[in-house]
Amino acid sequence: MDGPMRVLVTGGSGLVGRAIERVVKEGEGREGEEWIFLSSKDANLMSAEETRSVFQKHRPTHVIHLAAMVGGLFRNMRQNLDFWRNNVFINDNVLQTAHEFGVVKVVSCLSTCIFPDKTTYPIDETMIHNGPPHESNFGYAYAKRMIDVHNRACCQQYGRRYTAVIPTNVFGPHDNFNIEDGHVLPGLIHKTYMAKKEGKALQVWGSGRPLRQFIYSLDLARLFLWVLRDYDEVEPIILSVGEEDELSIKDAVNAVVEGMEFKGDVIYDTSKADGQFKKTASNAKLRKYLPDFKFTPFKAAMKETCDWFEANYDIARK
Amino acid sequence: MATRRCVLKCGSKANFFHLPKEEHLKTKWLQFTIPQKYSPSLVLCSRHFEDDCFLNAIKLGFASRLILKEGSVPSVFASASSSVSQPMDGPMRVLVTGGSGLVGRAIERVVKEGERREGEEWIFLSSKDANLVSAEETRSVFQKHRPTHVIHLAAMVGGLYRNMRQNLDFWRDNVHINDNVLYMSQEFGVVKVVSCLSTCVFPDKTTYPIDETMMHNGAPHESNYGYAYAKRMIDVHNRACFQQYGLRYTAVIPTNIFGPHDNYNIEDCHVMPGLVHKTYLAKKEGKPLEVWGSGRALRQFIYSVDLARLFVWVLREYDEVEPIIASVGEEDELTIKDAVDAVVEGFGFKGEVIYDTSKSDGQIKKTASNAKLRKYLPDFKFTPFKAAVKETCDWLTANYDIIRK
Repeated sequence: MDGPMRVLVTGGSGLVGRAIERVVKEGEGREGEEWIFLSSKDANLMSAEETRSVFQKHRPTHVIHLAAMVGGLFRNMRQNLDFWRNNVFINDNVLQTAHEFGVVKVVSCLSTCIFPDKTTYPIDETMIHNGPPHESNFGYAYAKRMIDVHNRACCQQYGRRYTAVIPTNVFGPHDNFNIEDGHVLPGLIHKTYMAKKEGKALQVWGSGRPLRQFIYSLDLARLFLWVLRDYDEVEPIILSVGEEDELSIKDAVNAVVEGMEFKGDVIYDTSKADGQFKKTASNAKLRKYLPDFKFTPFKAAMKETCDWFEANYDIARK
Repeated sequence: MATRRCVLKCGSKANFFHLPKEEHLKTKWLQFTIPQKYSPSLVLCSRHFEDDCFLNAIKLGFASRLILKEGSVPSVFASASSSVSQPMDGPMRVLVTGGSGLVGRAIERVVKEGERREGEEWIFLSSKDANLVSAEETRSVFQKHRPTHVIHLAAMVGGLYRNMRQNLDFWRDNVHINDNVLYMSQEFGVVKVVSCLSTCVFPDKTTYPIDETMMHNGAPHESNYGYAYAKRMIDVHNRACFQQYGLRYTAVIPTNIFGPHDNYNIEDCHVMPGLVHKTYLAKKEGKPLEVWGSGRALRQFIYSVDLARLFVWVLREYDEVEPIIASVGEEDELTIKDAVDAVVEGFGFKGEVIYDTSKSDGQIKKTASNAKLRKYLPDFKFTPFKAAVKETCDWLTANYDIIRK
């Protein structure tokens, strides 16, 4: 491509979309580039017509595709058909319309949660399709996996180099902080906020021993931009801190407590399930390309997120 | 809180509408439904309203909520026999998609020759009747026929070379066909859908014999992964549909099918029809029969007419959501050479048979287990292979001008 990019970001109002918006504003955007952040208000991407209209309106040269139907454990378990169908059609509409409009590159967003349930660790990019995903969210998981199938088939048939990233546990401002529906860290932040406000103990589910790799949304956003500009493979790439930076849930709790300046008791309810003890993902491929990439130190990232949540409690999604 | 159910007990579990508040309109709804037990919170499902009562019926592609126009009055009775939670009373109306293909024609034949029951209606669709890649056309054809059951055979299929070149089209078109048929079936209260998978969608790296539990255990073969994933996702859709709505849609997994009405295009087609066509031509032109490979590879073949009988049994009696392999057993595996001999005999071909061993054999063995089928139907008799091949050869000879080639 000659000339500057016009980048359409679907799911632009979400956790990752807002982070990309911020890093673009704060220096990552280049001369003459145009960045358009869509939300569900702009188009219902489950409709082929509406997707086409929005591509017609903006005529992007590049797309970062983050939009999806997402939900917590319980919603997934009850509605696997909706999670399967809605996401397949969002993804098909965006990828097919991008192809028809001559979009040079699409970077979609997968997740380590779609990997095979029975697998060896650490998981890497070659293992996505090696077995069925976990039973609780197989609808969502298969829909995400099929992005990779679509990318490979589109490359094989048309030579397009659409690709995807695979983040581990993302956290940051603008997350979904709903305690029932949200993920680990935003749930902890919201619970700590409530415990602090109501002068109660913080109740953490499980023993705190399981290990996870966390990636700050702003770091992920910078990496998304690098993938968009410079990563040329069709095979997806895991975006995560390394195995050496795995943290226990207890480490995460301590960082949240410190970030919120919570002074009360912290109780671990060991009658609740821990979930998987370890689900290590390898970031060897990322390190091969970017050996010097510096992730924001976890405590600093957590402090920023807690501060944002306290300052924006009223408008935060919960 | 009790699960909401349509007050007309039609078993639908989606797209409900509450009684309107306006008294006059409410009365009309109640006159239509005549509920056994009145409750102010009773709900009626979308099936009982004509399409023009909805703001977005035509645009409804993918899981959008139907929006009822103000002032709408229900007028459509879905028959009690379309309940999904009870066994059906009354005869079936069966829609067969892909009805003009190898398996569809075989089902048509067995239905005509005795499998059809009193009052049943069997409708065989082809691509002329509807382009199932389009949600609108699929909806129209369901509206027109209002089936209670569906046998879903329609697919975009092709030979090795087409698959290898067009994985995206094979993926997309088949996902759309399958979603349209399965989703419209659900929308129209179809009690049961039996779809058609294939042993070729199983993992490339696997142990043998393969069985029904192994389908998703790894990536399919590289040459046709678009087609393979689209077929696998039928099973994902069925399981998700069962989990969310309790519908028992299922699928059949045949091995190598052969019979009349196949695709006999030598470049594009499968092993058996290829052999049949080549032998016919060799006999006609007085040339040798050239077979690709050594002939040592082993395969399980199933005659289309036997498969058709099994499809009808699955439709009526097989209650699982997990698919079922439809095949002869491992003990009836044949070599390609056995198949060649049977075709040669079927045509009475007297010329030379040459095995071109420079051509690939493909996989030597890809045995599928039919243990589950045998558990249900220990006494099912497959048509003896030679007799089935003879019938196929005779059919080709009699119909050469009209065959798909």
